[in-house]
Amino acid sequence: MADLGRAALVVTLGLAVYSLVVGGIAARRNERRLAASARNALYCSFASTLVAAAVLATALVRHDFSFKYVAAHTNRHLPVAYTLSAFWGGQEGSLLLWLLVLTGYGALAVAINRGLLRDLTAWVVPVIGGIATFFSFVLVAVASPFDTQTAPFDGAGLTPSLQNPYMVAHPPMLYLGYVGLSVPFAFAVGALLSGRTDERWIIATRRWTLAAWMFLGFGQLLGAHWAYVEVGWGGYYAWDPVENAALMPWLAATAFLHSVMVQERKGMLKVWNMVLVALAFELSVFGTFLTRSGVVNSIHSFSKSSIGPWFLAFVVISSIFSLALIMWRLPLLKAKTKLESAISREAAFLYNNLLLVALCLTILWGVLFPIVTQLLRGETRTIGRPYYDFFLRTFGLPLLLLMGIGPLVAWRKTSLRGLLRTLAWPITAAVATGIVLVAVGGGSSSPGLIAYTFSAFVLATIVVELVRGTRATGSLFVLVARNRRRYGGYVVHAAIVLLAIGIAGSSAYSSSVERRLALGQSMSVAGYTLTNRGVTVDAKPNVTETRAHLAVKGRWSGSISSGDNQYVNPPEPSREVGIKTDWLRGEDLYVIVDESHPKTGIVFVQVLVKPLINLIWVAGIVFLFGSMIALWPDAREQRRLVARLAPIASS
Amino acid sequence: MPTRSPARLVVALAVAGVLAIFLLYTAVAGHSTPTLTPSEMQGKSGKLQVVGTVVGKLRGDSHSASGLRFQLTDPQGHGGKRVDVVYHGAAPPPLFRVGRSVVVTGTYAHKRLQGTDIVTKCPSKYTSTAS
Amino acid sequence: MIIVGILLAAAAVVVLVALPFLREPVAADDRLDAPSEADERWFTLVEERDRALTALKELEFDHRTGKVDDADYRELVGPLRQAAAVALRALDSPQE
Repeated sequence: MADLGRAALVVTLGLAVYSLVVGGIAARRNERRLAASARNALYCSFASTLVAAAVLATALVRHDFSFKYVAAHTNRHLPVAYTLSAFWGGQEGSLLLWLLVLTGYGALAVAINRGLLRDLTAWVVPVIGGIATFFSFVLVAVASPFDTQTAPFDGAGLTPSLQNPYMVAHPPMLYLGYVGLSVPFAFAVGALLSGRTDERWIIATRRWTLAAWMFLGFGQLLGAHWAYVEVGWGGYYAWDPVENAALMPWLAATAFLHSVMVQERKGMLKVWNMVLVALAFELSVFGTFLTRSGVVNSIHSFSKSSIGPWFLAFVVISSIFSLALIMWRLPLLKAKTKLESAISREAAFLYNNLLLVALCLTILWGVLFPIVTQLLRGETRTIGRPYYDFFLRTFGLPLLLLMGIGPLVAWRKTSLRGLLRTLAWPITAAVATGIVLVAVGGGSSSPGLIAYTFSAFVLATIVVELVRGTRATGSLFVLVARNRRRYGGYVVHAAIVLLAIGIAGSSAYSSSVERRLALGQSMSVAGYTLTNRGVTVDAKPNVTETRAHLAVKGRWSGSISSGDNQYVNPPEPSREVGIKTDWLRGEDLYVIVDESHPKTGIVFVQVLVKPLINLIWVAGIVFLFGSMIALWPDAREQRRLVARLAPIASS
Repeated sequence: MPTRSPARLVVALAVAGVLAIFLLYTAVAGHSTPTLTPSEMQGKSGKLQVVGTVVGKLRGDSHSASGLRFQLTDPQGHGGKRVDVVYHGAAPPPLFRVGRSVVVTGTYAHKRLQGTDIVTKCPSKYTSTAS
Repeated sequence: MIIVGILLAAAAVVVLVALPFLREPVAADDRLDAPSEADERWFTLVEERDRALTALKELEFDHRTGKVDDADYRELVGPLRQAAAVALRALDSPQE
């Protein structure tokens, strides 16, 4: 069985090399049949990768411990869902998933566009082939999922802290995002190589980019929620290098999503868009390099692995290649129009891009800092939370404001007078909100207050847009249906606003108290009083659950418990926190009992009150909804596109 | 009317402004902590982070006055120097135990690390199965 | 059994990859169907026209909904109408 898997991967490698080399020759020499052959090779590479994936999945389900991978990540007691999710739980399997999604996406993108953009697609094939060559080479020669051994009776299993639904959902969603960014990158490189540097490649890959961006964003929120409820330190984002590895390409992709609109309307920013899409792609591969190589310290990582240097080499070589390609094609990337006013939609997008990329590079610097200091000074220094928090505020708050202003400025230019007139209502709403907030004590945190007033401003602009548009078209549904991209985008903006409010509330206005409580003793935090009612120990077949129980009185009355679980197989502990969500007030009461003594009833507890944190999770749903609206296929637009791009007989 | 658009100037100034903020911040409030392994601690002092493997008996309690006491050795366990750690604060994360890889943040003085924060690493998922 | 399956699959892959040549051992026109120079120019003109018309439509909509006031509208609509007219005219009389 393992031989079949190995053979399938070797076949994939061969087909990838074929589509890279032959595809490149075919595109260069403009040969139709050869290009079709390379395309078919790409399709077949997906099929052979699927075979390899099926072999691994079957081995997992069958508990075939002769596969080293299966033995290392599962055991007989593991529920089926986690046995299957072990597919992406380790190095080799996750690389196989990457390759599967890559060949799948690549084949699909090429198949869809082969009729409309023949010469461009002919170049896309070798690019996808090249990336697939790298990943399949690593899978064949460096980290194979199909290494075998004499089968032990049982496998190592999965840490209990990883046995939850997030393990099933979070990694695949991130991968659909990471790998999805390869498609616009491949088309961009294809555009440069074929000389078709107009907007065709952007229009062809618009939905791909949007989908990848949606998956990457939602995947990160899943991870944040996982950290919040399972890891249990009271937070949801630690600026850990592995977390940043997903945030950086997402920020670059967000900038790209906006700046392509400028190129489509105005023929500007052509070079910038090329650079951005390459940046997003390289960051996604670099991110996975960080996650796997152990080159920086992280709570998620992982000892130094042999795979690091290969990934680093790939990132360096593909970056140099992309830059060289852009510089070579610079003459073809001249802008058609110029920026005329500092107050215009184009300018707003430019500022938006500036802030997003600045934030992205700031985070990159923070992640690379330990490596840089080690290389330059021989001493590793790590940058802490305050650095990231500062720049998130400094760049994030203006971005928030721009989300409200941008949609209200016209293309080419808007007079200051006109701008202030449109902004009158939103500004009033923001100021009113600010006053109310200060009155109820929101002035305790300036960044929090600013975030809330900006959020009110943006929400007001979205409402104004929707009201005006509905009045003009007569129906909200028709309005949105006719312009899915714009109004889907507004819904996504609303989601980001909710995210900002949630983040601001839960960090700027949260409370935290740590106390040692004897049996019967009480403590109070932000309007809640908690009393220690004792410690219970519940011994179950596979787990012993120790819980401290606290009676709560205040804005909510009831009982909350927290403690530790000690598992039997494998013998690992996990911390279980107690969370009480008050949906009406939108706040969480978060209890962490880090030490409890069943005999004496003494507990050491940390209690946090986190206002508005649930808006972050609500934002995730709204984000998905808005992205779906923007993604929704538009028959009219499709017909127009086909009419434009189908080969035309010279008339 | 100027022939050159002022808009370009505005954008350039914005870029310069962002860069200036970044440089100013990192110059004034650097906030980076040295991250060392036990064998690199020779001659160092002050606030720092130590990456290592927990060895020796765990003594005491992090909530008590005398704290939780243990030792750290180099991450790969290549013998070498050991560092004494006295940790005060919330109980360490549940994955903390002898033999685990951890990062301890604290102040190092008189050959002892007064730890204030412990981060344990998730058990290795991404080492290759061959190792 | 499995070996037969694998051999069949391998054969299928080879056939698929060679298919374009098996279908047309001798091809009259093996060029990648790239648009000719004239097609490219026509295409660019169509894009210009679409871009101009979209911009015009958007401006009209923004004016109707009140986002762009009358003064700004008057200033912006002129050049846009001109650009659209130029693009339409260029399409009607293509240069060879």
